[in-house]
Amino acid sequence: MNKEKVLRELSDWDDTTRRRKITLSNPVFIKGLALTPLAVAATTVQNSFILSVCVLLLLTPTRIVTSAVTRRMSVPLKSFFYPLTSAVIFFFVYIFMYRLFGTKVFSLGIYLPIMVVDPLIVKNFEKTRKESFTYSIINGLRNTFGFILACMITGAVREFLAFGTVCGVKLLNISLLPMAKTSFGGFIIIGLISAFWHYSVKNYRERLITEARKING
Amino acid sequence: MNSLKKQTHYDSIFIALVPIVICATVMYSARVLLLCAAAMFTARVTDVAIAAARHLPVDTEDKSAIVAAVIFVMMMPVSVPIYLVVVTVAISTLIGKHAFGGKGVYPFNLSALSMCIAAVNWPEKVFTAVKPFARVDFWTGACRSTATQSSTIKAGGLPYVDMLDLLTGNYAGAMGSSFVLLTVAIAVCLLITKKITWHVPVSFLTVCTLFALAFPRIYGISRLNSVKLEILSSSLIFVTLFMLCEPDTTPKKPRAKIIFGALAGIITMLYRYFGAYEIGACFAILLVNATESFWDRMISGDFIKEFLARETSVRNTKQSHKKKSKTGKNTALDKPKAEKPAVADKKTEITEEILQNFSADTARAPKKQAAKEPDKNGKKQQKVTDMIAEAEDRLDNVEFSTRTIDIDAILREIDKHSKGGKK
Amino acid sequence: MVDAILTFFAYAVLAIGAENVIFTRALGISSGLRVIDNPNKDTFYFCVSLTVFQLINSLLAYAVVPAVAKTPLGEYTRFLGPVIVVICCAVSYMIVIAALSVSVKKSFLKRIIVSLTGASINSAIVGTIIFSIGQNYNLAQTIGFAIGSSIGYFLAMLIIAEGEKKIHEDAVPAPFKGLPVTLIYIGIIALAIYGLTGHTTAL
Repeated sequence: MNKEKVLRELSDWDDTTRRRKITLSNPVFIKGLALTPLAVAATTVQNSFILSVCVLLLLTPTRIVTSAVTRRMSVPLKSFFYPLTSAVIFFFVYIFMYRLFGTKVFSLGIYLPIMVVDPLIVKNFEKTRKESFTYSIINGLRNTFGFILACMITGAVREFLAFGTVCGVKLLNISLLPMAKTSFGGFIIIGLISAFWHYSVKNYRERLITEARKING
Repeated sequence: MNSLKKQTHYDSIFIALVPIVICATVMYSARVLLLCAAAMFTARVTDVAIAAARHLPVDTEDKSAIVAAVIFVMMMPVSVPIYLVVVTVAISTLIGKHAFGGKGVYPFNLSALSMCIAAVNWPEKVFTAVKPFARVDFWTGACRSTATQSSTIKAGGLPYVDMLDLLTGNYAGAMGSSFVLLTVAIAVCLLITKKITWHVPVSFLTVCTLFALAFPRIYGISRLNSVKLEILSSSLIFVTLFMLCEPDTTPKKPRAKIIFGALAGIITMLYRYFGAYEIGACFAILLVNATESFWDRMISGDFIKEFLARETSVRNTKQSHKKKSKTGKNTALDKPKAEKPAVADKKTEITEEILQNFSADTARAPKKQAAKEPDKNGKKQQKVTDMIAEAEDRLDNVEFSTRTIDIDAILREIDKHSKGGKK
Repeated sequence: MVDAILTFFAYAVLAIGAENVIFTRALGISSGLRVIDNPNKDTFYFCVSLTVFQLINSLLAYAVVPAVAKTPLGEYTRFLGPVIVVICCAVSYMIVIAALSVSVKKSFLKRIIVSLTGASINSAIVGTIIFSIGQNYNLAQTIGFAIGSSIGYFLAMLIIAEGEKKIHEDAVPAPFKGLPVTLIYIGIIALAIYGLTGHTTAL
């Protein structure tokens, strides 16, 4: 590993995790955001893809608009402005997705519309720090891709376990674990993937520490 | 001493299962031993694998997973595939036991969890019954199967089993959970040797009996006969002894046990009458296991004390905003938080670091403060805001926390320190 | 009238048990987990506030959505659902704050305002309302489902809070500490409740 990278990452671990939201500080597996759609709706890769497109089109624009407009608002006012902004943006996103995916969009039921008030999209209203325009774009994209990664992994694992297929391609003739398509199966599988994620993050940090000790001699 | 008592419980249950396994083998063929061996082996391998992954020594005394696996197998029909047993035992041992910390600290009964997982994943394989002394293929389990007595009752039918067969388990059913006489005899032995207590089984069976008496669902026979079939024809007696008497997942206090047993009885009968599956008892046990510690706290009065202490703490927290304490003490902050030291420590770390930085900044720039006297309050406010924002960002990056930062506490500490600095 | 009352109770019981907001539909999980251990948010007042808001928002949405359907925007009613519900939440919040500020002490209002803000808009409320609208529930069904959902949410929060007390955090393996073990715990309770229905819920 690169010496500068190791020391830079270790010296300010908080900043490292903040920058690497996709992996080290994943919004789903580490922070526990957007659990609702993942536990119930992300049962196949197709469903996960639709959810990912929704978040891709919704999160960053919401963050940009709200960071610009809510600078002087109090928290109670922000608590409604954030979901209202995301709901208005979602209206156009929903219509676009309907044109793109057809009625498959409605197969997700209420789990697409409720993204509007999911903490992944709106939790920033509680924050004291005002977000700059650039920071809102960067952070928005980081959280978006972090969610997309988590969503696609969850969808693929659940589809494989429940149906023996991935992206509709049959890999097994039997269904390994039919409960993977249920909500309780979703909770348990996300819990296990999250445990594996935590383990990997800890492992990575320990590796950095080992490398730093080697560099130090 | 507590651990020794509990370990003795699993040893006793393991020994208690031996006659049941022997009877099951006699009635349903040697395949019973194959399934038990597969389940025990899977449970052991999972325990060893997790111990290796956690870099802990393998606990050879720990029989909780093995006992749970055998209890689970006894509730299955002999035709159940081996892979079903292996997969179910592995999953339940991993998520039901080791995810929560292992021996003695898991919250849910493992055999009930295994049964529920098998039932929802493979109901067509679990809810079948095989007649005793039927021909069963040793490796595949292929045999002639029939509907269970529970499913007959659920469908509104009348099981045609006489009393002797009902008591000896000589009817189409699961491998080991239908031997009522044998199970009762084992229960009496365990009670006499004080390996189990009477509170949970008695309250559970009493409530189930009263419920079945009050709301019979088997028509065409007398109420008493309906109760007899309801209580004896399914795995209720077996579940009562082997699942509801586990010390790790039941309350400790006698009165709490009685309430626990009664609640389990009510929920079991509701599941039986209105639920989708025949094994209502197993689902009910998972639900009541979630309330186990609550009954102990309620009986001992701790629940009310906690509630009152919390209310007082919240009131003190709000009041300390206004009060300027002369002693500098704050009862709300002095009260220790019992749970999750890792996150609490991180919170304290962050709080202390912020305060140190703030104190350092204040100490470093007294001249600047003197020169810019009129703007002092505005700058201080900005500093506090920056600090809170920084603390929020940091806490945000902590591995999942359900907590947000206690801003009031930080503001009070900052005020206290700034007054201390001025002096 | 009797039919309406029976329907109300039937849907309330359904929403508490088989269609439980958290365990069956996973609505409000993320915000619920954040409330349980937050020292500034009182779980009891949060749930009571949620019940009040759920009821008011359901009634408002029940009245507003058909009205919107009759306007030129009617063909987009399905897509406007979230916007309508969020506006209803904002209106109900203002109604409740106005009512509380004249009827209770300021100190009490200050104490519960944090819970009110969080409870006034979250996925448990929005999801339940959108579901009721989508299923075309009548008034009795809507009210029963709304109240039942809130009570179910409260009971679920109690069970999860109790579970967090039960879990011996120091014994839990490091990778499972925090979110993973909580999700597994919730999953097992959800499995127990699944035993009632035996099938996955309609999305």
